[in-house]
Amino acid sequence: MKYLLLLIIPFFFSCQSKEEITQQQYSVEGMALYKANCENCHQADGSGLRDLYPSIQQTKLSPEALACLLKNGKKGNGFMPANPKLQALDIAELMTYMREKWGGKKQIYPADSVKLALQNCR
Amino acid sequence: MGPKTVNAKGDTVYHQIPAFRFLNQDSVIVTEKDVEGKVYVADFFFTTCPTICPKMKTQMLRIYERYKERDDVRILSHSIDPDFDNTSVLKDYANRLHIEAPKWNLLTGDKATIYRLGQKSYMVSAQQDPNEAGGFVHSGAFILVDKNRHVRGIYDGTVETEVNHLLEDMEVLLKEQ
Repeated sequence: MKYLLLLIIPFFFSCQSKEEITQQQYSVEGMALYKANCENCHQADGSGLRDLYPSIQQTKLSPEALACLLKNGKKGNGFMPANPKLQALDIAELMTYMREKWGGKKQIYPADSVKLALQNCR
Repeated sequence: MGPKTVNAKGDTVYHQIPAFRFLNQDSVIVTEKDVEGKVYVADFFFTTCPTICPKMKTQMLRIYERYKERDDVRILSHSIDPDFDNTSVLKDYANRLHIEAPKWNLLTGDKATIYRLGQKSYMVSAQQDPNEAGGFVHSGAFILVDKNRHVRGIYDGTVETEVNHLLEDMEVLLKEQ
């Protein structure tokens, strides 16, 4: 039985496309980043805290605007601290995780797109 | 809890929270008179704090909701960034958290006074630190104070199980005269 499994497992992985594997890697990293940087306020389930910290289960923001928000935060009303330590890859992983968890979409958001978005933040 | 001293008559004097005077989110003056005969929980926070404050507020809400109807319980949250956290910033924060004074007072006032009160009286760290995220370092402690302004317990306000202990101890203090 053990040997049978050993034969099957590599088979199973080979069925996944490279893209799927990368998506999963992004998502797992993104989950850790979410825990470290976002969960305090927005909670593990993304529901937020009353009207103090908004729910992030749904968003009207474009991916580009979201990338900028994650990096630069928001000043004034609805203040959110900036996350200068997060690099383009971190943000891509975070967004991939959020997209899977709340957007129901297993699709990678590439680091290149984040890089481009961050160059054009308003 | 806290340092004991001996007075001129030779009696032991227990550490007591001294008189204080701050403004709350409704721009109402709050002093030690407002907690006379009441059990209260104190903490230190600031509205733009990105780190432990949200966790503390999540836990403090449990205390608030549980004792909402009781007049002998109060919460005093002191801002350690009082220059930014003026009464209107605190009012907005309170509204968004759906909390009300006088049950839960968000306090602002003279910065040095607040820091001194935190360090010397409530025995927790509270100070400015440009190296810290948000610019301030402070402990996540909830300090439980009895009806005579004696500190009776200090709990980690970021940990649910610690706050469970606080709630148990609160019941004991409420039964005291």
